[in-house]
Amino acid sequence: MSPPSLRALSWLVVRDVNRTVGGGMASIELMRRSLGRRGWLDDGEHGVLVAVSRFTPGTNVLAYCAALGWMHQRVIGAAVAVAGASLPGAALVTAMTAAVATLDRWPAVRAVLALATLVAGGLVLSSAWALLGPYLRGSRRGWTLASAAIAAALFLAGATPVRVLLALAVWGALTPPRQKA
Amino acid sequence: MSLALLYALLLKATLTSFSGLGGLPQLREDFVVTRQAVTDDQLSRAVLFGRSTPGPQGVYIVSIGYSVRGLPGAVAGWLALVTPAFLAVPLLVLLRRWLYLSRLRTAVDAVIIAGATLLVPSGVGLARDAIAQLFKGG
Repeated sequence: MSPPSLRALSWLVVRDVNRTVGGGMASIELMRRSLGRRGWLDDGEHGVLVAVSRFTPGTNVLAYCAALGWMHQRVIGAAVAVAGASLPGAALVTAMTAAVATLDRWPAVRAVLALATLVAGGLVLSSAWALLGPYLRGSRRGWTLASAAIAAALFLAGATPVRVLLALAVWGALTPPRQKA
Repeated sequence: MSLALLYALLLKATLTSFSGLGGLPQLREDFVVTRQAVTDDQLSRAVLFGRSTPGPQGVYIVSIGYSVRGLPGAVAGWLALVTPAFLAVPLLVLLRRWLYLSRLRTAVDAVIIAGATLLVPSGVGLARDAIAQLFKGG
């Protein structure tokens, strides 16, 4: 299938990133679903984009969008995807700051935000499963479980996410798959 | 505070964090403690706005920029928010070029698995906060 046009890519990013609250991983999951349905991104490419976004300083979802835009439309794709993902929220935050809105004054607003955050939590967990699923179904299930266990243990021991990722990168480099005879 | 300095300080916070709210301690140190450019109240309000709006949580630094220098400050905040994202491009190019190496491939696989594992506490935390807010609201 041909790659998405700049217009299609921009619309997809603007729509999927700006319809979740509670963080970028929920947005990334929505983009994965939309792009995957259209055949514009497979699970392997998505995994690489997630890995890149986790190692890029700053906001993960913007790094994901920059890499995604570059993958399909080079410089202009990266610029448009990052702008589309960040400008609506930035404009809204500016307007709220200017109006010194006190959102938590209204219980109905609080309830809507809480429900939206609950949905975002579900999307984040779904994203974790979407990333792990292909590995658990593959031939290196034991290695996958060991990697996840090491990551969880390091996190529970108080290591920062970046240190966990770096440690797992080393672990992965030291445990390459055996070559078939 | 000049716009260039504002941008530099906000960029320092985004460059030294790897998640939406990761730069918060640095921002508090630079803007509240050292320069008294914003108050703790403005900082918490910025975080609330960032969490209440669609899209990335890191957008709260736009609010800090606005609090310091008005609209031009908000633009500086947005630029500081998006600048580090473009570092993903050379990282992606390098990664794809060398991905045929089995050791790099498994290193990337391990990072993906670790990233997925780290999502679990984030997702559970979001859901727990949401449920707590719902019960508090009711």
